[in-house]
Amino acid sequence: MTAVATKTPASPGPARGSGSGADGRTAWGTLRTVLRLHRTALLVWAAVVLALSGWLVWLTEVAVKDELAEWEACERAGQDLCDMTIGWVGYSESLAWVGLLISYGFVAVAAFAGGALIGRELENGTARLAWAQGITPARWLTAKLAVPALALTADVTVLVLVYRWAWGAHQNLTYNGWTGDDAYLSRGPAGLAYALCALAVGVLTALLLRRALPALAVSVVTSGLFAFVVARYRGSFWPAVTRTSTAGVVDPPDNAWELENGVLIHGRRTPDVDYWACDGTAAEARRCLDDLGVTGYYTTYHPESHYWPLQLVETGVVLAVAALVTAAAFLLLRRRTATASAA
Amino acid sequence: MTDTAMAATALGKRFGRRGGWALRDCTFRLPAGRVCAVVGPNGAGKSTLLALAAGLLAPTEGRVTVLGTDPASARARVGYVAQDKPLYPQLSVAETLRVGADLNPGRWDAETAERIVSAGDLDPRKKIRSLSGGQRTRVALALALGKRPELLLLDEPMADLDPLARHELMGTLMARAAQYGTTIVMSSHVVAELEDSCDHLLLVGGGRVRLAGEIDDLLAAHTRVSTATGSTGPTSEDGSPDSAPGGLPELAPHTVVESRVTGRQLTALVRPAGPLPDDWRTSTPSLEELVLAYLRNPQAAPLTPAEPEEAAV
Repeated sequence: MTAVATKTPASPGPARGSGSGADGRTAWGTLRTVLRLHRTALLVWAAVVLALSGWLVWLTEVAVKDELAEWEACERAGQDLCDMTIGWVGYSESLAWVGLLISYGFVAVAAFAGGALIGRELENGTARLAWAQGITPARWLTAKLAVPALALTADVTVLVLVYRWAWGAHQNLTYNGWTGDDAYLSRGPAGLAYALCALAVGVLTALLLRRALPALAVSVVTSGLFAFVVARYRGSFWPAVTRTSTAGVVDPPDNAWELENGVLIHGRRTPDVDYWACDGTAAEARRCLDDLGVTGYYTTYHPESHYWPLQLVETGVVLAVAALVTAAAFLLLRRRTATASAA
Repeated sequence: MTDTAMAATALGKRFGRRGGWALRDCTFRLPAGRVCAVVGPNGAGKSTLLALAAGLLAPTEGRVTVLGTDPASARARVGYVAQDKPLYPQLSVAETLRVGADLNPGRWDAETAERIVSAGDLDPRKKIRSLSGGQRTRVALALALGKRPELLLLDEPMADLDPLARHELMGTLMARAAQYGTTIVMSSHVVAELEDSCDHLLLVGGGRVRLAGEIDDLLAAHTRVSTATGSTGPTSEDGSPDSAPGGLPELAPHTVVESRVTGRQLTALVRPAGPLPDDWRTSTPSLEELVLAYLRNPQAAPLTPAEPEEAAV
């Protein structure tokens, strides 16, 4: 009744090398598979990098010419406030837009990681297709993280370097300083750290939710919220400088990032005293201030030289979170699927 | 190497902490080289059992071994095709096979995979998303067979295929099993399609194993009987169909799977515990009759081998 009813117990099947030398080839094959699957996304990223870099070069080398000429004419005519009247709209604004795109591009990374990279695979069952081949789920996840991480590192590094060059080229024509939303993340390693963290967050969310669209939405919101929270504490990542004076209001140096200023009430820093309400004659103002107990003034700020320490600490914090999230993703995957060593 | 292809001991899987058990107390042993049918109604736990054996799910309790080791370690030697035949829609047929080659270095049999695909008149440049259900099944099977599995787990493999393709692919599978001694485990709820090709049966119902063993042995262990009621004792039956086993004194010593009284006629499917009276008409049930009898009577005592796992590993 059956075709193979009387079969001798299958002794060594056809020659099958479950050799250990296959390990390297498996890793390479897995990478190639991930490249094949996400070819379109990787090409789109590369195109975006090219387009933004091209735009920056064009802005800095070509578009800025007219504004420079205008600026020089303005200066020659001896007018004041040339920086107020020129260069806000064209060059500076475009530069700011590119900066914002680079700084907050990680939101798109989160969407990709949560939706296309992992979420869709779990929803369609194609993840299981991969795990039913010769590779373990952990190796699959490693490749799924490594390929986009490498591509992101290359892409964001190029963008950051180009942006640094463009941003520094015509400082007199840019309006936002180094602390601006457009220039803070897009000029240092923190921008890359956020992109990698968004990748990890997207992956973990997708593993948790196992559906593409919800994972996309949640990972975008989560990575955005995370960046928002970190940005609130950004100023405390490096000791700030405080200057005090008994003579009068202290101004922070040019280009400094002022965190707080206020008056000293009997030597204690108090930010929210309406000392500026004291006006009138010098004597009246003096008496008014004495009534308030003002003994001096202070300002707390980060000079521009703090950019790198601040940037590096923030990078470290974000990368640490990315590492934790990645570890959680591997743990979760391990718990879900069968793992070896069940002795 | 062991001669057990797959064995489970008190295997159970529950989805979610408060969810119901998809599979519970599942104990059986499948010898290597068999073609095993996993049969059961929808939602019986067939897919869960296959996914556990493929190492795609971690069991909640108990354990399953495949090819003498745990599913995760056997991954490279096990082929698995899920019920919905997932494939990457954005890849072409040829690219899909290349994925198989990339993910199974040292094992991939490109020739076999390509032969299965080309037997279906598939253009290798066609994208997976443009294929019909049956064509996808063909590609999925090519992917599973291309890795030269020693154990092949197929979840409802033939559901989408037309009769011709079904016949041809079943032939390919059987040839494979005969040539390489590949153990094949396939689930289905169409018993008829398995009767000719399978020699081992695993009947799953309500998350438990109801029947396990060689089909010939199982059939031999059961007998269809029919007799007139009252021939060996009085009966108080009112003549309505009755499937409660043990209610009829005539059947008392035997394990009753299903019994039915129509008028003065008693028919039953039993596992005889001893010789049956000479005046009973007896016959061997067909596989379908056997399976249906167990499915209709969830309370019937299961028949699974007493020694599920010998000193294998």
